[in-house]
Amino acid sequence: MSTLQKTLHPDEKIKAGKIGQTMSKAGIGLAVVFLGISIILTLVGSADTSHGHESKWARFFHAYVIGWSYIFTLSLGMLWIIILHYLVRGRWLTAVRRIAEAMTGAFPIIFIAGLGFIIPLLAGYKDLYYWAHPDAHNHELNHHLLHKLGWLSPTFFALRYVIYGIGFSALAAYFAKKSRQQDESGDPKISETLRIASAPAMILFALLTCMVAFDIAMSIAPKWFSTIYGVAFWGSGCVGSFAALALLVLAIQRSGRLTHSINAEHYHDIGKWMFAFTFFWAYTAFSQFMLQWYGNMPEETHWYKYRLFGEWQWVSIAILVGYWAFPFVFLLSRWTKRIVPALVFFAVWQLVFHWLDLYWNIMPSYDWGVVYHEGARIVSGPLTGNPDLHHVGFSPVDITVWIGLVGLWAAGVGMSLKGNLIPVKDPTLPLSLAHEVQ
Amino acid sequence: MSNAHDNHDHDVEPTSYPDGELYGVLAEYDTPGELIDAARKVRDAGYTEFDCYSPFPVHGIDEAMGIKRTILPLIVFGGGATGLLGGLFLQWWMNAYNWPWNIAGKPSWSIPANVPIMFEATILFSVFASFFGMWILNKLPQVWHPFFRADRFAKVTDDAFILGIEAKDKRFEHQATVKLLKDAGALAVEDVHLEGDPARRNMPKWITAFIVASTAFALIPFAIAAKARNSHSSSPHIHIFPDMDFQPKYKSDVAMDLFPDGRANRGEINGTIARGSLNADDTYYRGIENNAWTTGFPKQLEINDATMKRGQNRFNIYCAPCHGFDGQGHGTVAQRVLASGGSAFLPANLVGAGGSAVMMPNGQLFNTISNGFNTMLGYANQIPHADRWAIVLYVRALQRSQHATIEDVPPEQRGSLR
Repeated sequence: MSTLQKTLHPDEKIKAGKIGQTMSKAGIGLAVVFLGISIILTLVGSADTSHGHESKWARFFHAYVIGWSYIFTLSLGMLWIIILHYLVRGRWLTAVRRIAEAMTGAFPIIFIAGLGFIIPLLAGYKDLYYWAHPDAHNHELNHHLLHKLGWLSPTFFALRYVIYGIGFSALAAYFAKKSRQQDESGDPKISETLRIASAPAMILFALLTCMVAFDIAMSIAPKWFSTIYGVAFWGSGCVGSFAALALLVLAIQRSGRLTHSINAEHYHDIGKWMFAFTFFWAYTAFSQFMLQWYGNMPEETHWYKYRLFGEWQWVSIAILVGYWAFPFVFLLSRWTKRIVPALVFFAVWQLVFHWLDLYWNIMPSYDWGVVYHEGARIVSGPLTGNPDLHHVGFSPVDITVWIGLVGLWAAGVGMSLKGNLIPVKDPTLPLSLAHEVQ
Repeated sequence: MSNAHDNHDHDVEPTSYPDGELYGVLAEYDTPGELIDAARKVRDAGYTEFDCYSPFPVHGIDEAMGIKRTILPLIVFGGGATGLLGGLFLQWWMNAYNWPWNIAGKPSWSIPANVPIMFEATILFSVFASFFGMWILNKLPQVWHPFFRADRFAKVTDDAFILGIEAKDKRFEHQATVKLLKDAGALAVEDVHLEGDPARRNMPKWITAFIVASTAFALIPFAIAAKARNSHSSSPHIHIFPDMDFQPKYKSDVAMDLFPDGRANRGEINGTIARGSLNADDTYYRGIENNAWTTGFPKQLEINDATMKRGQNRFNIYCAPCHGFDGQGHGTVAQRVLASGGSAFLPANLVGAGGSAVMMPNGQLFNTISNGFNTMLGYANQIPHADRWAIVLYVRALQRSQHATIEDVPPEQRGSLR
């Protein structure tokens, strides 16, 4: 209790062993079963022409973008905390940092999974992103969208996607690889190198994150815009990311590994971050809402109109209460973060609501309007028409695609869970092992 | 502290004071770890009236001393909740109850607009509760403590780790207590006595006097403000920035001796016209052709679909609120006039058969838009000339559409009518 530094417990099991393989196999199984079910459900279903979609795959792909954003943000938050850890010379994280690194090791798999909607887009699929639809070029209807279509063109979009994939994978790989080098050499200078690298890495991280949020999630409703969108996307992602870290750390401890090194102090700090981002997400999401609501400009408010009136208002209220008010009030207490079952409850809770938040961000744009102009049928895209015509229209595919993609993510994390599960020669490890939250 | 130094400062007073009764014992330890171990031993021996002193916060000392967790978080929560509800109440009281004020037709009471103030008030009150709560729980400010009499104690702000047990503790027995502290590894154990003269144990009177006086002094500005609010004065305002209050310039429509007409405003010079204000074309700018209202359209106006659409757009913005989208005079303003019991001047029906707007030549219609008619004000300042003509064009189309015959429909499209 009283020491400022501790050494690794001699009986500590620090090797990953088969745990990564087990996780990968379970993840791949989950992915095959649930993505398979999703594809079958889609194939036996029919096209939803009443919402302007000619292809029966439209729901599947919308669910896919939600699921992809979900697994992307799960790893995103961990990459951020790793970079921040070096940037501020953090200590507490060191004991669980290898697990966080494994979560960022999933980036290559995540970006390969994303090809599931990028390749159809390149092949001319037009029922997912309205800007890829030929009718988006209609002058009469979309004069305020035309100037964006240079940026939002399938080829350029796919090119940027490749850059994001390389960027995030490389950032994650760099920090993880250097950390593992330190396991071998024990060279404290590696920590210094990473500290110097962390400042530009943080800037790159912020830019890439904003761009991904704008491109993948915000451009689903291409006529709408919000500059804080990337920050809210990342904030919400960090809630899910820290929740996932808590569960993964617990699973590893349950397997008999790292039982001496990680204790309530570390769970407390993971819980604190989850709590902090619960509020931070609410803060940014409300900032975005309030400025647009108060400004009352139609080109901004229409995005909220479909979420605050009609069927979607109940989802909005569920998010306000379930994603913010309830966990905020209970996570205020020290004990909900230190008593592991309580933390697990809130971690699972927030992981579900993080998905609902992404669902709320993206799925209302599934309902496309159709207008008849000079005798021609023109698809006017998401967020046009009467809010009462926008239905939540829940489909089982929404859930199965999500679970399938989480399976792929778990497989990616499992592949990175190997070797030492703790950075054995990191100079800050003794401090992290003796970490104590006052 | 040397005696020579003391003598120099206070040569009237004695160099040292007689000790009073025993206040407690101090034990110095070498490291934070030893301090924690000693604290645990003292706690285990049943002592409660003791404290640890160190130059920096020592992790684990609370647990070793058996200190219960602080209730500060609850105080902060209470402060935050007070701020949240107080911020909400403040806004309700000011905006919705005591002084509701119509700003752009927005509701005077709306929760989303109140959230930022509620948030800020929550933070403010939480911080106050946390700051002052911490001071109160720690019994701060405390300017003096009997342990200060021991020279050794001054080292706790530098490099000493000291444990002090007060004699008022139920378990305190001088010999046994000293032995306990020594056995716990103390470098040295020292007795501390109270002042021999009970009168010197309290804070000097002049400090109390200074605090009272300076607090009273700080209230003077508020007192002045309160007096000013509740009294009358015939002396002029104090101008803190006279050159901002009295600027060397003339505002519009004020007197000025320099010019013969005594006005600061200078009109246009006779025989000149400002750039872009010639407006020589009577037809285009005034709707007059050969000293009569024109019945056609000025040559500058291109009559095509785009102009018609523009006219419709402007009509719907400027005219439809009163005359209605169909021109029959049932716009929302007219409806509101009727609903509120008024009837004196209802907007004209622009499309009624044989009505004045139908009979008017184009030029007169243009002139009416420009300069108004009856209670309608002119729109010359709001609508450029070209748009006014486009509105005239659209009004003509509206009139024709309300009295259309089958002859107006192109022959090839007549089949699609039912």
